[in-house]
Amino acid sequence: MARVMAAPAAASRAPASLEIVVDGVSKAFGAMPALVDVSVRVGAGEFLSLIGPSGCGKTTLLKAIAGLQPVDRGRILVGPREVRGPGPECSMVFQDFALLPWSTVQRNVEFGLLLRGVAAAERAAVAGRAIAKVGLDGFEQAYPAQLSGGMQQRVGLARALAVRPQILLMDEPFASIDEQTRRLFQDDLLALWSEERATVVFVTHSMEEAVYLSDRVVVLSPRPGRVHRVLDVPLPRPREASDVRASVGFTRLVDELWKILRKLQ
Amino acid sequence: MTGAGADRQFGVAGLGAVAGLLAAWEIVGRLDVSLFVPPVSGIARVWWGLLADGTLPGAAASSLLSLVKGFVPAAVLGVAVGLAMGRFATVRLLLDGWVNALMSAPLSALVPVLIALFGVRDTVVAATVFMFSFFVVVVNTTTGVRATERSLVDMARLFGAGELALFGRIYLPSALPAVMLGLRLGAVQAVKGMVVGEMLISLVGLGERLIYYGNTFLILELYAVIGSVLLLALLISQAAQTLDRALVRWR
Repeated sequence: MARVMAAPAAASRAPASLEIVVDGVSKAFGAMPALVDVSVRVGAGEFLSLIGPSGCGKTTLLKAIAGLQPVDRGRILVGPREVRGPGPECSMVFQDFALLPWSTVQRNVEFGLLLRGVAAAERAAVAGRAIAKVGLDGFEQAYPAQLSGGMQQRVGLARALAVRPQILLMDEPFASIDEQTRRLFQDDLLALWSEERATVVFVTHSMEEAVYLSDRVVVLSPRPGRVHRVLDVPLPRPREASDVRASVGFTRLVDELWKILRKLQ
Repeated sequence: MTGAGADRQFGVAGLGAVAGLLAAWEIVGRLDVSLFVPPVSGIARVWWGLLADGTLPGAAASSLLSLVKGFVPAAVLGVAVGLAMGRFATVRLLLDGWVNALMSAPLSALVPVLIALFGVRDTVVAATVFMFSFFVVVVNTTTGVRATERSLVDMARLFGAGELALFGRIYLPSALPAVMLGLRLGAVQAVKGMVVGEMLISLVGLGERLIYYGNTFLILELYAVIGSVLLLALLISQAAQTLDRALVRWR
């Protein structure tokens, strides 16, 4: 993303990515434990995926990092800050897009900036650039209901990027998008990420997606969620331009991930 | 476009049905079957007369004033209470039973209480209007707030929204279609409350005319007033619908 935040506060900002430390986190909903003693360290600028069977607490962990879900035990650090609530360094992309149906694309993308007190003129400019970045120029005045699922999620991504997050949390963002659109979107995401270099935590159900996008894949075990395995993905980058999906290394890693997950079902 | 087309088709069908009913009525009326089924043309003539001599406009003005005095507070308070009930479980627990009981209670039964509270004056009509319309606004607003998408709330909180911003930017716009529906149903209820108040308690406005013409067997005049009340209810409902469409454009 272009250096859009000219304000002094933004100029003195920390580097464009931060480390995340999840340290011994447990969370229960009533008597149901959702996460038990989860510890994960996500390096600054790393792309990390969380994968696991349904009900393994992937989304709970993501919301805890976002500060939307208080935890019972343990602590979470994003950079130097201990998470006790939503903070300015995080941004999130939601599975159901979470767009305001009563607002245009432009206003949706401006929404995070609006809540963070950015002035109107700057908001419009920054949002305009974010919209262009995700390839939605010309749709600024459309309403979400007029767009396809893939385009709606591009709006969600533009909104998340507009606030220039150091940490980008993505909760199954492509789950309800068709396969062709998803592949294009994955490549665009990787291209944008290599520009922004934010730390990304990406929740997914798809093994191919996890391997294709990530530096590392964390496998969570189901009910309650524990860290079961951490899989390194040493595939070369940039992957979006090359034929990584056709490579033996890619296939082998997906297969390895499948063998791990199969035992967890 | 298809929606508007379908609406127009319904409109045509509806007008056709009304015209058919009126024609049948006219025929039965001309046959002089009963004192209580006068021909429509006669009612129309009397209606025009009552309109011209100022009887109907005078009564309607008095009624409308009570309607506004009762419905505006009911709408404002109803939305406020509904928002609070939708957002805060404690408020909901405290008020839910009362609201549901009073919404489904036959409100005419409360008329003696209202008389005791407000006396037999114009204000009592405003009070009945309020009682009739308040609860439906509350219930619809509450439902609307509670139906707000969880992820929208999460999203706004993630970007730093406080309670005030959540209300103004998420809960209220999200509940707006339900609120508008509540206001529309509330407005119709308000007309009922107005007539009940005027007929049973205060004897003013259109309600007073209904009682008077009914008691003196001026059947043509009676039907003319009934028609006016129906027309008023229809116009108010239409106005609310137009407002709804203007405010909730994104649907």
